[in-house]
Amino acid sequence: MSTIIHAVFGYLFLLLIVRVLSRRPGGQLTLFEFVIVFLIGGVIILSTVGKDRSVTNCVTAILTVGLMHWMVSGIKGKFPRLGAVVDGTPLTLLKNGEWQLEVMKGMRIDREDVMAAARTKGVTSIYDVAYAILERNGAISIIKNEK
Amino acid sequence: MATNQISRPVEDSIAKVNDEVAVGEDLDFQRKWWRFENAAWVVFTLIIILDLSGLFGRGPIASAERRSADGVFDVKYERIERTDSPSILTVQFAQSAIQNGKIQLYVSNSLIKQLGTQRVIPAPQDTVVGEGGLTYTFPASRSPASVDLALQPSGPGIYDFTIGVVGSPPVQAKVVVVP
Repeated sequence: MSTIIHAVFGYLFLLLIVRVLSRRPGGQLTLFEFVIVFLIGGVIILSTVGKDRSVTNCVTAILTVGLMHWMVSGIKGKFPRLGAVVDGTPLTLLKNGEWQLEVMKGMRIDREDVMAAARTKGVTSIYDVAYAILERNGAISIIKNEK
Repeated sequence: MATNQISRPVEDSIAKVNDEVAVGEDLDFQRKWWRFENAAWVVFTLIIILDLSGLFGRGPIASAERRSADGVFDVKYERIERTDSPSILTVQFAQSAIQNGKIQLYVSNSLIKQLGTQRVIPAPQDTVVGEGGLTYTFPASRSPASVDLALQPSGPGIYDFTIGVVGSPPVQAKVVVVP
């Protein structure tokens, strides 16, 4: 019983922490962030299973977390607003040749991050970028200017 | 006869930027989220400061000390405990607590059960059950003398306990056990 309550709390707390930590430009974890994710997961599992390290207890914890994730995914599909809360919404970083400074500051994204995404699309000048969009997964989409 | 809908026409329902690129941006929601994020970081910082102060156990606020009305003994304990975390309750005795080379210490059942006494250090010479608790007898010579109780509460809650030396007014105290 307590394992299920702890697992539900741990899932929701981890969801909050990961969401509040903001999206990573490029959508990839650095080595340091990778360590942070493992550290948080390791700490939460301690209180989730407690002193009961039986297979039954661990399976119960895993099933609870899996069920929570399945439910949240299902609810997200039905209620787009919850999807926005859990995953965020795409945000425009650059449009009409202007940086969207409010969004860039809010998401802690530099012009260099946008330019790095542009280079992966073969764009060599920022003037060739019509739109730069920060996606929900943290990737930056680049739409080129049509000349 | 109803048929299952397995497909439907494409709708252009994603909000567009400049009426051109379908992004689905919701800046009003994002501004609210940033405010929430800022509030969350303030709350997280506050939790850490409160934890350092001992509000969630193991800090200056959590440490407590009570002396019996006649000064025969005093008790050092944690007024805020954590579930399944070990702590020590120490009873220090004055010379007047030693009668005929012995100290008789009464502890209530709540200290044994809810607050989870794991060990008594040193081991008592004798234990008597009754009066809603246990009375331990320890051989003693001269003060300063002390007895430690290793506690490990098994569940959260607010628990009262009573501890005392036989023949002396007991000390009653409350312990909050956080999850």
